[in-house]
Amino acid sequence: MKNGNFKKFGMVIDLDKCTGCGACMVACYAENNIPFREDDTDKMLSVSWMHVYRLNNGKPFPDYEECFLPRPCQHCEGHHGHSPCVSVCPATATDYNMATGIVSQIYPRCFGCRYCMGACPYHVRQFNWWDPIWPDGMEKMLNPNVSVRMRGVVEKCSFCVQRYQLAMDQAYMEGRQEIEEDDYQTACTETCPAGAITFGDLNNPEHAVHQLAQPDPAHEGRPKNPKAFRLLERLGTNPKIYYLSRREWVRRAGDNYLKGEFQNKAHS
Amino acid sequence: MTTEELANEASAKDQQPTTPPPEISPSTATDDNGSGGPIILFFILGLAASLIVGWVIFPQLLYSQKKQPVDFNHALHNELVEDSCESCHFFREDGSYSGVPKLAQCIECHEEVNGEDPEEAKFVNAYVANNREVPWLIYSRQPQNVFFSHAAHVKMAEMDCVTCHGHIGESESLKVYEENRISGYSRDIWGRNIAGIKRNSWDRMKMDDCAECHRNEGVNQNSVQTLRGGCFVCHH
Amino acid sequence: MKVDRRSFLAFILGGAAGTALSPLPWKITDDIAIWSQNWPWIPVPPKGEISQVSSACTLCPGGCGISVKKVDERVIKIEGLAGHPVNDGGLCPLGNSGTQLLYGPERIRTPLKKVNGRWQQISWQDAITELAAHLRQLRANGSAQAVGWLAGSDRGTVPELFNRFLTVYGSPNFWRTPSIWDSYELALYLTQGTRSRAGFDLENADFVLSFGSGLIEGWGSPGYMFRAKSMFRKAGGRMDQIEPRLSKTAAKSDHWISVNPGTEGALAYGLAHVIIKERLYNQDFVNAYSSGLPERYQQVIDGFPPEIVSKITGISAGTILTLARDFAAARKPLAICGQGQGHVPGSLQAFLAVHTLNALVGNINRPGGVWAVPEPDYIDWPELEIDAVAAEGLQKPRIDGAGTYRYPNARYLLHRLPEVINASAESPLKVLFVNDANPVYSLQDTAAVKKAFEKIPLVVSFSSYLDETSAQADMLLPNHMYLERYQDVPAAPGFPKPIISLSQPAVEPQYNTRHVGDVVIQLAKELGHTIGAAFAWDDYNSCLEETLGDRWDGLIEDGFWVNADYSGTQWADAFETDSARFEFTNKDIRTLAAYEPIKPEGDEAAYPLLLVPYDSMRLASGYVGSPPFMIKALEDTILKGNDVLVEINPDTARQLGLSEGRLANLATPRGSARVKVRLTQGIMPGLVALPRGLGYSGDNKFLDGKGVNYNRLSSPVDDPASGYNAAWGIRAKLS
Repeated sequence: MKNGNFKKFGMVIDLDKCTGCGACMVACYAENNIPFREDDTDKMLSVSWMHVYRLNNGKPFPDYEECFLPRPCQHCEGHHGHSPCVSVCPATATDYNMATGIVSQIYPRCFGCRYCMGACPYHVRQFNWWDPIWPDGMEKMLNPNVSVRMRGVVEKCSFCVQRYQLAMDQAYMEGRQEIEEDDYQTACTETCPAGAITFGDLNNPEHAVHQLAQPDPAHEGRPKNPKAFRLLERLGTNPKIYYLSRREWVRRAGDNYLKGEFQNKAHS
Repeated sequence: MTTEELANEASAKDQQPTTPPPEISPSTATDDNGSGGPIILFFILGLAASLIVGWVIFPQLLYSQKKQPVDFNHALHNELVEDSCESCHFFREDGSYSGVPKLAQCIECHEEVNGEDPEEAKFVNAYVANNREVPWLIYSRQPQNVFFSHAAHVKMAEMDCVTCHGHIGESESLKVYEENRISGYSRDIWGRNIAGIKRNSWDRMKMDDCAECHRNEGVNQNSVQTLRGGCFVCHH
Repeated sequence: MKVDRRSFLAFILGGAAGTALSPLPWKITDDIAIWSQNWPWIPVPPKGEISQVSSACTLCPGGCGISVKKVDERVIKIEGLAGHPVNDGGLCPLGNSGTQLLYGPERIRTPLKKVNGRWQQISWQDAITELAAHLRQLRANGSAQAVGWLAGSDRGTVPELFNRFLTVYGSPNFWRTPSIWDSYELALYLTQGTRSRAGFDLENADFVLSFGSGLIEGWGSPGYMFRAKSMFRKAGGRMDQIEPRLSKTAAKSDHWISVNPGTEGALAYGLAHVIIKERLYNQDFVNAYSSGLPERYQQVIDGFPPEIVSKITGISAGTILTLARDFAAARKPLAICGQGQGHVPGSLQAFLAVHTLNALVGNINRPGGVWAVPEPDYIDWPELEIDAVAAEGLQKPRIDGAGTYRYPNARYLLHRLPEVINASAESPLKVLFVNDANPVYSLQDTAAVKKAFEKIPLVVSFSSYLDETSAQADMLLPNHMYLERYQDVPAAPGFPKPIISLSQPAVEPQYNTRHVGDVVIQLAKELGHTIGAAFAWDDYNSCLEETLGDRWDGLIEDGFWVNADYSGTQWADAFETDSARFEFTNKDIRTLAAYEPIKPEGDEAAYPLLLVPYDSMRLASGYVGSPPFMIKALEDTILKGNDVLVEINPDTARQLGLSEGRLANLATPRGSARVKVRLTQGIMPGLVALPRGLGYSGDNKFLDGKGVNYNRLSSPVDDPASGYNAAWGIRAKLS
């Protein structure tokens, strides 16, 4: 792969469309062999690469409003690939790939120090406190293209990288070196019944994600679309998940302002 | 022991080093009441014993010997098929690799016994007749957390099978499958040579061998952490 | 030679040096490292050929197309079928979890019979012979009408086989699971004269006014509604949600209009009042294609001026005026109703009021409007020969009273069945077959339902799971799972076009199960005579293939057939009423009991709060419960440990002295349960909201024993106009 061909896979999630149904979460569980336990209600201990958060505008009844925010790994680029988790991992178990822009998690390398979990400002990383157990017979549904993780390692959303690999295999088979936008889509994108998630190459102006987010290369990908925002943009994590909302309070919640901070500016 | 005795013993120990050590010189080494000769002898003995254990006995203990369920003749089949290895080990349309053929594929030719080879008769009677898959032992089987793309290597990089799998296609008989008792994988992954020395590209199938080639060929050297190949290419 | 300490040390040293120079330590380290990365107890999914099967989901009536992804002969994932007219690639959480239902260890693996309270295996042949003998005896006794059949739906070949069986056997007692579609169909029939299903061209609407419908919480066909909602919203369409709780639908709307629960119908009449009074209605439609508006106005609508409606609903008169004007001014306004996912049929007069709104704006069978979609007509089986016994049985009134003078318009009144059975010394129903339904869980007042089911001498369940109803059954004849069988899936609810999808097997049956269609055919053949003659097919699959005829090949290939060009019948031909117009009122409507907000059970003094249920896409509450993936994805604001959280307004909590996260006792006239309190500004004071789809009992450790079943705490309330269940809640107290 030549340097000029670098891709930057990213996602645009339209919060006006998202219904909070959770199909993305379940599709992710099925695609990525995510284990489940009898009681998974403690969300701090539950492994879920995609999590739908519920935000509210903090107003009393009946002016109260809510919004749902699906949160996969933000695949931060930081400055030149030094995303928060990548820069702290002592085991080189998480890495930033310049060719795809995907932040990887390598289970055989991870020894479970959980430093990355502390470094991640988005809570996207989860630790396997238990060995995964599938009820008798249910191991039949496991996807052979994704590692089954063991107790003691950290895991997170991989942008369904196995689908990228399979798409590349298909391309090679057909004598192509490149894949089309449709060839590689994540499980959550495909399943979203509301069509809220768009996935593709942020570097490719023909891809829908690029057109929706309008990333500004001069400002580390900050969206030019006034409806778009990224989570905790001010931290300089340079994430690749863009959110769209026409509600201002939602955009502000995404940037997590302190009370009274930047009163008149949605984007500083 | 009382505390007094303990104290005595401790002081006795303390005194030991003060005794000057016997001089060891070539002349005293052969001395009857000296111990220099035997010391070297013992050292060599220990060295030799452990070398034998490490280089000879250990490899034999480490691997169990397993016979393949059917002794397959690659050379014979290779002569009969049109498309060389890909006749049986083919790519599917989606770019995935079929690997070791399933029974259904073999049945296309071997619905009944065709020749006189007892191994073929065994295969037909034991597996075809009972519609049972053959539990082949795969020399190149990699751990579950390794994802290898044949398409990327064979189709895109146009490598041949021999580079990694050697001349198995010319073999007339399947060699004994030696299974590592600890890791559970074939001896062919680490290589025949217990020291891990390889002469040919197909002698070993360890990650280092993958990485070496990737580095030499400049494949996917896009990692921010290692500034080399990313782990994610194979592990996800 | 003496081996002293020093020589020994030398030996060890030599050994150490030799060992270090040998491959042993390095190789062992490497091997152990590899071993430790591949624990033998962690499953390794075998690789293989990836393939997909186009099929249809039957876990809810939604009729979504699915693409079943397989690796060799294993189903690894279920995805939405791209290009399917209903869901076009999208899929809900339940559909996504289907694999877990296929491979779940709790599946019933063989036919079972209850002997002295314990399950015993029985062969298929013995089970069918035994059932046939029982049914023959009933017929001989002249009690053919004492056999009933309850199905999840009444559309498609499988329910038609049940119906055919009952008819030729001699019983009128067929039921389908109650839903808002009972009321919708009736409203369409009364006003338009057609037996059709309501379809909504949601994607083309520009103002959707929803009276509590969970548009994105499982109302209608979720696959279609989600997609259509995104489409009309993208085009700038407005969406207003009227309900007392901030549901997800309300959260996604432009306006959440909080209304006193159960008074939505009054609001609809109020809006109609404004539209008529201010002459905002569609003159063309009303003048040329409708009749009875002046009379309906005079008799009913006139009684709902904004000031009065404001008092009933708690919505200000100003809001009512604005809403009515906005609705009438929209180009393609669409009013929809039916609470939440639509498990409770609701008040017929309220449905008529909402339908009146659509008619007033002329949005019947128009783009963006409500369409009367004809029932699929592909099931054209030979005429039945009805013998004397069957003719006599069919003459008998239905056990639930539907179609009798008391409830002339109702077709199925399943919720009344427990009451009827419990009121008589001996159950009038002797045999009940249950397919794709779990009434002991899903009918309100489950204690009464359970009691009634205990009185039915023979209950036969075709369920794949030991659910609440199966536990009460006497015989379990497990059907193939939907991923193992053929079945036509006609008519996704609310979808505006005629459509048939096809479920087809992705894998071989995993256990000793049998297609319920085959069981019916075999049972009929065993009974012989006219009954056997009515089922001339060899098996279900040949019946299905023959029935679908020319469509079969296309269905196998694509997974669906759709009349994509259908766009609603023109007004001139659409109405089959006496006047051939849309009738705002007529002799049937005139005789209906007048509209009045439905009162839930309970005394206000003893139970000061109102318990209302709500639906979530993350909880299945149909005939299957939530698979493990859904329970995992469930918010911790709904379930924490085994405790369900009820939502109350902080004001209410303050009055009751309750605080966030506290355990409390939720009591209704029907029972009580332990719940956790969750405070939210997203609910009207005075209400307690409990999710549907929890509180299962059984031995599925991922689902059972978690939370509380709303149906256990509540009771049905007859709608005076239709007889259908119209209970939207029950009075409650929280302490």
